[in-house]
Amino acid sequence: MTNTTIIETHGLCKSFGQRQAVIDLDLAVPRGCAFGFLGHNGAGKTTLIRMLLGLTSADAGAMRIRGRPVPAYRADVLARVGAIVEEPHFHSHLTGRENLEVVAAVRGPEARPRIDGALRRVGLSDRADDRVRTYSQGMRQRLGVARCLLADPELLILDEPMNGLDPGGILEFRTMIAELVGEGRTVFLSSHLLDEVEKTCDAAAIIDRGRLIAQGPIETLLGGERRELDVGCDDAHIALDLLDGHPAVAAARETAGGLRIVLAGNDGVADINRRLVGAGVAVFRLEPVRESLEHRFLEITSRVGVPS
Amino acid sequence: MTLVVARQMLGAEILKLRRNRAVMGLAFVLSIGVVLLFFGYTAIEHASNPATNGPAGGVHNFKRAVRALGLIFGALSAALIGTEAGTADLSSGVFRDLVATGRSRLSLFFVRAPAATLVTLAFNGLGFLIALAASFVFADSLPTPGVSLILQSGAWIVVSNALLVGFAVGVGSLTGSRAPALTAVIGWQAIVTEMLLSVTSLGSARDGLLTSALSQLAPFNINTGVTMATGVAVAVAIAWLLVPVAVGAWRTQTREA
Repeated sequence: MTNTTIIETHGLCKSFGQRQAVIDLDLAVPRGCAFGFLGHNGAGKTTLIRMLLGLTSADAGAMRIRGRPVPAYRADVLARVGAIVEEPHFHSHLTGRENLEVVAAVRGPEARPRIDGALRRVGLSDRADDRVRTYSQGMRQRLGVARCLLADPELLILDEPMNGLDPGGILEFRTMIAELVGEGRTVFLSSHLLDEVEKTCDAAAIIDRGRLIAQGPIETLLGGERRELDVGCDDAHIALDLLDGHPAVAAARETAGGLRIVLAGNDGVADINRRLVGAGVAVFRLEPVRESLEHRFLEITSRVGVPS
Repeated sequence: MTLVVARQMLGAEILKLRRNRAVMGLAFVLSIGVVLLFFGYTAIEHASNPATNGPAGGVHNFKRAVRALGLIFGALSAALIGTEAGTADLSSGVFRDLVATGRSRLSLFFVRAPAATLVTLAFNGLGFLIALAASFVFADSLPTPGVSLILQSGAWIVVSNALLVGFAVGVGSLTGSRAPALTAVIGWQAIVTEMLLSVTSLGSARDGLLTSALSQLAPFNINTGVTMATGVAVAVAIAWLLVPVAVGAWRTQTREA
């Protein structure tokens, strides 16, 4: 464990009967970033979160949060952790403010003065004195975040926080996460919405059927070592001949509108363009190919051919 | 857990209960409405025909009201409020979020019964005060309750309500679901207990019933057909508090959040 990681697990295991939900999980979440925890439904994301928060016990392995082992130091550790597990629940007969008062009472005297600020921050000041049963799903999610903020959290654990949000709500949520990270907090965000993780997070881990199969910065997960270039041109066949043996080109093939080139290194795009144009090939597009996290995720976790 | 936190958590539990309109409304009807109805109806009866209907006040009617608050309608209030306190966090799903704060589960559990007792006593205490006032106002020529009886009756209601709330909180925390808990507590107290009390062949086994113990501890005679030593009654009453509370605490500690 170092000061640079806020969550660390080693050999974590959890089974429910015969079903292994989490298998030998080694995870390291860096401090001060938005960290995505990706997996299909039922992959083990929520089980891990529940173990981290002490909602269920681990069968084997070790966990550390904020540098201290849990569950041994659970109370101290969780005093500065805010969490939404699955979906935020509230006493529907209480107002938003009263629900926060209930949690603030449990957290301790320092939490109560944070209620107004937390409500303001999530944009619920105007509705704070309405009963929660009148809130929309998006408002409940925001109230859940406000509840997390009562801890002045170093770490926020958000389980599928975008569920049920409309596009505007998702954008607001993304902005809020960026702001929280900007304040030096760490946001651990479990999701199956790959596009959201890609847009929101700096790093991620991918879990599949209980096993951690990849983790690291988003760029690395996307295959950052491998750079590809789409070239739009009027004669792909001639262009392919011209680039044969070019030092910047590791591989190339024709596509519908031109070429798809695998670059040998980080440089050489300008030279490729120069050679094509100099030879009379009309180049109307040079576009780096950015592999989506969704594609990468499906590639890694592909279950094609795997018996269920 | 510091005293400040304990006080805050107690306040939060009371907030959850008192903002529940349905529970508060029912408790009002059971604890206060029934007392008002009893004395109001009896007073009207007496006014309409004093020759056959005695005054609504006096010691006798005071005892009837106290019995209602300690063992019947007030007990229903206690069961209602106790089960609500025992199940509210679990049935709403908030229990998980409270556990995730790092606060111990036992501290979450152990504020439920005191909060529910205080709320119950707010209703039954007001019912008691109304009964006390009515027993004087409508006494006419009848003797009125003495200070000793008043104090002992008040204390008995507090003990009775606290025991029933503890029982209900324990069962509520065990089941985690309001309807089954309420059915179990009220069914046991109002139906099963009454049936068992009437089975004389059970003999001293009936000493183990909560109603038997509470009746024995009452400041005036409540005929349940069972008599026992006061020490035995105290032991039985304590067991009826400790066992459900221990079971509820254990379940709160061990259940998946």
